[in-house]
Amino acid sequence: MILGLDVGGTQTDTVLIDGDRILAETKIPTGKDLLLTLRNALESILTGVEPDQIERMAFSTTLATNAIVEDRLAPTGMIVSGGPGIDPACFSVGPSFHVVEGCLDHQGFEAVPLSKASVMEAAEKIRKAGIDTIGVTGKFSVRNPAHELQIVEWVKGLFSHVAMGHTVSGGLNFPRRIFTTYLNASLHELYKSFSDALTRILDEKKLNGPRYLLKPDGGTIDLLRSMGAPVRTAQSGPAASVMGALALDGCEGTTLVMDIGGTTTDMAVVLDGVPLLNPHGIKLGQYKTLIRSIITHSLGTGGDSVIRVDDEGKMTVGPRRNGPPVSCGGVVATPTDAMVALGLLDLGDRSRAESAMKDLGRVLCCETERAAERVLRRMAETIAQSARAFIHDINSQPVYTIHQVLNEEKIEPANVLVMGGPAPHLAPYVEKALGLPCRVPRYHHVANAVGAAVARVTSRVTLQADTERGSVIIPEVGEEHKIDRSFDMDQAIAMAREALCGRAMLIGARDNSLETSITEKQIFNMIRGYRMVGQNIRLKMSITPGLIPQWKRSEAAC
Amino acid sequence: MLRAQRKTGLVFFPAFDWAISPDHPEREERLLYTQDQVMEEGLLDIPGILEYRVRPATYEDIRRVHFCVPDEAAVTTESHLISAGGCLVAADAVLDGEVESAFALVRPPGHHAMRVVHGNRGFCNVNIEAVMIEYIRSRYGIRKVAIVDTDCHHGDGTQDIYWHDPDTLFISIHQDGRTLYPGSGFPDELGGPNAQGKTVNIPLPPQTGEEGFLYTLDELVLPLLEDFDPELVINSAGQDNHFNDPITNMNFSARGYATLNARLKPDIAVLEGGYAIQNALPYVNVGIIMAMAGMDTSFVKEPNYEKDYRPQSPEVTRHIEQLVTALKDLFLHEGFKKKPYEEGHILERKRDIFYDTDGIQERQNEKIRCCSRCAGTFAVSSTASTGQHIMGVHIPMEVCPECRKTGLNWFQEGRKGAFRHVYLQDREKDIYIVA
Repeated sequence: MILGLDVGGTQTDTVLIDGDRILAETKIPTGKDLLLTLRNALESILTGVEPDQIERMAFSTTLATNAIVEDRLAPTGMIVSGGPGIDPACFSVGPSFHVVEGCLDHQGFEAVPLSKASVMEAAEKIRKAGIDTIGVTGKFSVRNPAHELQIVEWVKGLFSHVAMGHTVSGGLNFPRRIFTTYLNASLHELYKSFSDALTRILDEKKLNGPRYLLKPDGGTIDLLRSMGAPVRTAQSGPAASVMGALALDGCEGTTLVMDIGGTTTDMAVVLDGVPLLNPHGIKLGQYKTLIRSIITHSLGTGGDSVIRVDDEGKMTVGPRRNGPPVSCGGVVATPTDAMVALGLLDLGDRSRAESAMKDLGRVLCCETERAAERVLRRMAETIAQSARAFIHDINSQPVYTIHQVLNEEKIEPANVLVMGGPAPHLAPYVEKALGLPCRVPRYHHVANAVGAAVARVTSRVTLQADTERGSVIIPEVGEEHKIDRSFDMDQAIAMAREALCGRAMLIGARDNSLETSITEKQIFNMIRGYRMVGQNIRLKMSITPGLIPQWKRSEAAC
Repeated sequence: MLRAQRKTGLVFFPAFDWAISPDHPEREERLLYTQDQVMEEGLLDIPGILEYRVRPATYEDIRRVHFCVPDEAAVTTESHLISAGGCLVAADAVLDGEVESAFALVRPPGHHAMRVVHGNRGFCNVNIEAVMIEYIRSRYGIRKVAIVDTDCHHGDGTQDIYWHDPDTLFISIHQDGRTLYPGSGFPDELGGPNAQGKTVNIPLPPQTGEEGFLYTLDELVLPLLEDFDPELVINSAGQDNHFNDPITNMNFSARGYATLNARLKPDIAVLEGGYAIQNALPYVNVGIIMAMAGMDTSFVKEPNYEKDYRPQSPEVTRHIEQLVTALKDLFLHEGFKKKPYEEGHILERKRDIFYDTDGIQERQNEKIRCCSRCAGTFAVSSTASTGQHIMGVHIPMEVCPECRKTGLNWFQEGRKGAFRHVYLQDREKDIYIVA
């Protein structure tokens, strides 16, 4: 059996899955104490289940996200080496941010040697400030990690934890590398105590199967390994929902996945069973990071959104929420009230909802029932408009080759999967507003927990070979080798694949789910004067988000 | 938080799958390191800097500017259309008010492409700035445009296209033509009879440094712009004045380019040449983007700046001061003194043009109607070593009835002549006819 658990903003869902069947599901309120919530959720679902029957478990938690959003980050020192461009001081993340002398160029050649004196001076200042955790980031360190490694070597023993920039992602973006390194360093203590405590709870419950955490890219990572970069587990909720959609529906063709909640509606696109990923990285709180994520789009319209009618009789739904629906004791009419009034939903006091719709009908000059229908139509139209803008944005991503311009592959959703509380009641309205067939999968109300439970391990590597410099580097795994002029694309692919699979196994993948794919592949002749001096090979390979082989979706699940 | 002081659009199209030939300076690798630097700086994450997706220009866009011989398909490839299209995207972003200024960081370049196109000259087939400007004029009703060409090579193609247009001020700052391709761009090239003084050439001596460029900008270019009072300023932003450039002899720097841009404040900048792809372009482009966005560029500096940059010599300084003084006398002090022409007079000129990249020889005969009421119609007949023999007639926007009549007559006469193709480019009606 597989256990999946999703900690949401208000509710924590847990499911127990056996093969293609969802055996049990529970929902409990999410409390202030995350560990207590996790313990309660586990206890709620494990009654009568032998712990050794649980062969695998996965959690989508809010620890890292909440720590960042609530600014509970530990004081952290940063040692940063820059170079030509924007003044690195612009990316300062706090008082203990130090720019040291030293610079690498875009090819990874050293332009200015690293100054030991300035590194040691920075380290001393950080220690004097009573800070024990640091992050080390260099510009272009993914092209050559030498400066980052040298700094770490010099300050070894002075700090209890050091996070480095180049291992987080092979992508270029110095500010994001700084922020990502900072978050990893500053989350370390908090995250370690969380993962230790969770490990203790699981040990105590004798849940000894493999333990995973969900990541924002819809993949999982082994609980203990996730400590290497805690920020990788932030903001996994939307990914849980998308992976749940994939698990419950299969999402063939181009599918727009829509999760309609109380406060927001979140959307994502799944292309032939693979969610579309954000090429840059996720934004966490105020920080843009290099952490890969599923592209999601959030709109402030949900079941509990405020309904307004302006002087000209134009109705808007959202983007604000003002307490619970009228049927549950609130004061402002919401789409939930419309559903209750229409008898679609049984929640709270129906007569209160009806009276709210009657009031609305007076403003709109129509009957109660028509007013409620108009609310749902308006809400669906709002969602549809936002969905179109989301798709337009995806299709407006810049492209850099003639081939891509001429062979335009536009994303055009052919069907829509609607999930979340109001999904069954709103789907017909959304279908009409978007002009696309809408489906509501069975178990959509616990889709997040299902998604966490059956998501496979994902990983990616970035390989850059420069035969002029005589080096090939895969920063994510800390690999760097000397190469000669004969190094070619085939060798690059073989090397990247080995590194990728090795890394995936290390963070918890089983060898039966190592489907690798090349996501970027470029080769350039490097010419100086009129002479070819080498080749520049760039390769990105990844294990994209998908489902574990044990999960077999049956017809019963849809 | 870091943010753009001026909202700036960026159209980046490195054409990673196109080269003139594998080891040509205009090859796939050219903007690779610029992309690396722009990405690593995180410039596209900065609020107020927006990246746009390119779209290909159409043949209709090309026909507002060129007579392509025998037709557009023969002398352009997809890459030329996309490069020109990138400029159109930049123009839309600015003129639709989404951004205050935009930079089309595209390749291949265009400023050596003249009105008649038989093939590739100086790495250029289609004049991407001119295609953009004529698109802007047709679509947004803008008339007065100034082009400041800061490529190290004389922008002879752009000069040719706007030679007769009094509504376009073309200023080219370049390395002296006696020392560099294409060997033109001297101060006595001043524009055709109806557009006298609207072509300004500023040939700077080899080894001109930051000081000389900025002096020329402040003392001559900015006052010329103020005097002309254009609705739009376009920068043909070639980057080959750089001290690291392998095919030129100038001494400019990334910071210099950034400062120039911050002072010039072009509405739209378009990348032209620049072939120090590793040790100049990444820094120059980052500097230009940041300067356009109104950001502090004092940290933009080549890694080898201290080692390799030398301030210009006193002789160079003296030479530039004399040149600038002479040009100020010519254009500014008492206004440009136009040579009088009799109304309706047909002025002719003969020219030989060489297409260095494609090895084509072209002989042109051009006639223009001298006119005080409009830009004047003109006709150009062209014979090339490819065996082509064509004539093209241009009727300008806001043409006067006399010039329209003359132009249409020339077109009719041409059709009876021995030309293989006769083209009519009617800008007034925005139509193009091939006969």
